[in-house]
Amino acid sequence: MKRVYSVLIIIAALVSGSVSAATIKASVNGMVCAFCAQGIEKKLRANSATQDVYVSLENKVVAIALKPGQAMTDDTVKQVITDAGYAVTEIKHSEETLEAIRQAMKKK
Amino acid sequence: MNTKSLRWIAATAFLLPAIFAHAAPMGFEGSWMAMGDVSENWREAWANYALTPRDAVGAGYVFMRSDDKTKERKLAEINYTRLLHRWNLPDAQANVWLFGSVGRMSGNDFSGSKAAYAPGVQFDYETTRVYLAATSRLYRAEGIKHDFNSVRAGFSFYKAEYDETQPWFVVEARRMQGLSDKLEITPMLRLINKNYFVEAGVNNSRQLRFNLMYIF
Repeated sequence: MKRVYSVLIIIAALVSGSVSAATIKASVNGMVCAFCAQGIEKKLRANSATQDVYVSLENKVVAIALKPGQAMTDDTVKQVITDAGYAVTEIKHSEETLEAIRQAMKKK
Repeated sequence: MNTKSLRWIAATAFLLPAIFAHAAPMGFEGSWMAMGDVSENWREAWANYALTPRDAVGAGYVFMRSDDKTKERKLAEINYTRLLHRWNLPDAQANVWLFGSVGRMSGNDFSGSKAAYAPGVQFDYETTRVYLAATSRLYRAEGIKHDFNSVRAGFSFYKAEYDETQPWFVVEARRMQGLSDKLEITPMLRLINKNYFVEAGVNNSRQLRFNLMYIF
């Protein structure tokens, strides 16, 4: 029975397009200026599922830490960043913490 | 947005004299942007609100004066800014902007005020190390034709991350037809932070210049 529940949860996540990973990492084109990119951070922080946001101009990455039990669809991430004026090239989901991503980016 | 914020925006727009041809001339959707450009013969201030990711409306005030300080123009305008096209590249961004404004222009060599309009276009290209921009605006009213053109080029001293302040060296050359036959050249130090954008410099007439942009 547990196996059936697990399968149902996975299917539901796939169908809805949302994944409750701890962190979402988006690769973004066009982010060259902190002043101009602030809209990405502000719009993402305004989402109720967001716990924290990290932006790296050097690595062209926007990472979003989600609140426990919260999810954010890829479409939402893409829409927010597109509306802020930038182009999303890739979205990855990770169990890494935002701090771990931040540290890894700094070492690059 | 509370009343205190709105008062601050209004104060910024009208007390900080200032320009326009710098970086993105509008913020993100739902944001207010206030801008100012102050120098001895050119003072411009305006604020706009981004209705969509590509459209903003606002109001502004421009004071222009000839090099010999004998002729003055004052323009109060409502303006519209349109991001016509943006190229988001892996290591760069380029934009084409359209501007349009209508308002009233007054001057010290004619009485009353005249209906005025000022269409314009800007192209800019920016990486984390290089900045290039060209702007053209046509300030027009009955019997008045002040065409404004500027080009800017600059470089950052080093790459900076999103949470760091990045210093730039930028040079602008600009000319205002009918008011100044002199090409004004201003080398400036620019500081970009995720919260503010400021520039300060001294032009080739040894006049101070200061620019500010802020998004609410």
